[in-house]
Amino acid sequence: MNAARRYLAVGLLAIAVALWAGLPLIHTGRLGHIAFDLAIGCAVLGVARLIAEAAAPNLPSRADQLYLPVTSRIWLRGLSTLVAVPWPQALIVLAVGLEALHSRRPWHTAVLGVVLICYLITLHLTESNSRLTVFRPQLPLLVTGAALTALSVGAAALPAGPAGSGSGWLAVLAAIAAVVAAALALPI
Amino acid sequence: MLSAGPQKKPITWQLTGHARRLLTLAIAGLVITVISRRAEFAGLAAPALLMLAARQGGRPEVVNVEIDVPTAPLTEGEPSQALVRITGQQRAGQVQVRLIANPWLTAGDTEAVRVAGGGSSGGWFRLPFVPERWGVRSIGTVEVTLHDRWRLEESKLTISLPKVTCYPRPALLESQVVLSRLPSRLGEHPSRLAGEGVEFAGVREFVPGDRQRRINWPATTRRGSLQLNIFNAERAQVTVLLMDVSTDIGEVGESTADLAVRAATGIAVRYLAARDRVGLISFGRRVDWIAPAVGRRQTERILHLITEKSASGHPTDVVSELPHAALPPGALVIVFSPLLNLRLVEALRGLRERGFATIVIDVLRVPKVGGLTRTKALADLATRVWRMEQDAIRFSLRELGIPVVAWDGKSSLDEPLAPYTRRPVVNR
Repeated sequence: MNAARRYLAVGLLAIAVALWAGLPLIHTGRLGHIAFDLAIGCAVLGVARLIAEAAAPNLPSRADQLYLPVTSRIWLRGLSTLVAVPWPQALIVLAVGLEALHSRRPWHTAVLGVVLICYLITLHLTESNSRLTVFRPQLPLLVTGAALTALSVGAAALPAGPAGSGSGWLAVLAAIAAVVAAALALPI
Repeated sequence: MLSAGPQKKPITWQLTGHARRLLTLAIAGLVITVISRRAEFAGLAAPALLMLAARQGGRPEVVNVEIDVPTAPLTEGEPSQALVRITGQQRAGQVQVRLIANPWLTAGDTEAVRVAGGGSSGGWFRLPFVPERWGVRSIGTVEVTLHDRWRLEESKLTISLPKVTCYPRPALLESQVVLSRLPSRLGEHPSRLAGEGVEFAGVREFVPGDRQRRINWPATTRRGSLQLNIFNAERAQVTVLLMDVSTDIGEVGESTADLAVRAATGIAVRYLAARDRVGLISFGRRVDWIAPAVGRRQTERILHLITEKSASGHPTDVVSELPHAALPPGALVIVFSPLLNLRLVEALRGLRERGFATIVIDVLRVPKVGGLTRTKALADLATRVWRMEQDAIRFSLRELGIPVVAWDGKSSLDEPLAPYTRRPVVNR
């Protein structure tokens, strides 16, 4: 029951990531539609992969499958492919790409970042069957990361200078520099 | 329990799936930041980058592994456990231990339970399991996963667990098949001869030299002369178990060999508990035997022969008849066989000709034959022919005076042996 709840949480967060990054789909073009569909697929298959890993932790090797019926071999091959493909990574890339296809909306991007981090933490807890307390040492990092996200959103929300100036680049460099400075300054 | 360690095991660290996903998020965020010149994507990558920055070196390269497995033989269905202890990973974080059990046993709880120590560095992990099949087999492997404090790197270590001995679950048997004529060895079965037993056999006239305490006074009063109680002598029976494991058909755990060894174990334990002399002949690829004897040591010897595959016996192909050393005159021979090996059937005929009282416990359970519609008629015909052959073998044995009783492996052995346990079996 506990495992089912975890799978449900991972699935809901994955779907939330895809929906938050993808919707609304207007002005994103055909590429946006394809990326959105792929992101939903990755979210669903990511949960299916978790369930498959738990249900069949030790899949037989190719040599052991030699004498199995063809249907069983196809089924096992499908399961191994499902487990081998990194669906969550694909979902992350697609979600960030979908967000970039939209026009500038800093607060929306910040929420996506928070949901993505929640998704990654939940996914790791489900995979390793651990409790949330294993992330207690990283709490300062997460708080600092959230603060940096807020800072970046604030920087992005500021009105840019006249077109053609380097103000956009300046904001980007400032944000990256803030992240690097925070990483170096943290007493880890 | 005996410790099988500590052993030093080298470990290699690699990025966890969590770290790889964080890296993906960080790179994707930064790339989009640079391409689209939108600073908010740097903020999106910031938490992932910071979590990755926490990664530190100094993880242990070697850990000590201690393993405790049961050294005493187990019995089928008896819960047991292995203990594993990982030390030397103080600088690492959490340790997870998982038993990947071999198919012959059921792992009780896949995740280990810490039973002592308490700390993350010194605790023992309990890996409960239930052996489901007899034999000397490996328990399986233990997969140890070490995580660093930040869950960014992990190391997986696979350790093979040693073999354990598992005795077959003895078949239930309350009664005993006893012969009418027993060899002259002191035991617990009343024989037809008069002797120093406790079972009353009758009275006879007193003769000088008899023990006065055995005088039957009521009979003396009635007959007018001194009468003496006489008792049956108590003798030990010699029982030889012939276990046919040359063919093994049926589902794993319920096959003919499984049934044969369980029945042999049950009967050996029952007869040895009654202080009878019990011997065993194992008729497999090789013929091994243990001459009849009594006592607990004999029980261990028999169970050892049943459980472990011996390489010391004679190959079945070169053995023309069963070993005389294992078959003393007057012994009761109980055979556990599916009667599929014609060499054994011939040996049984030879036994009967030598005058041994023999009972065959048939452990063959005929499986239902399926098949497609096209081949079903042919399969049914083949099954009928095969069944007739089997019936002919059993009929020929019965005609020779060798009773054949079927045992399903689930019920008590008292049930099929009931016709022979009610009264002594007459032997020559």
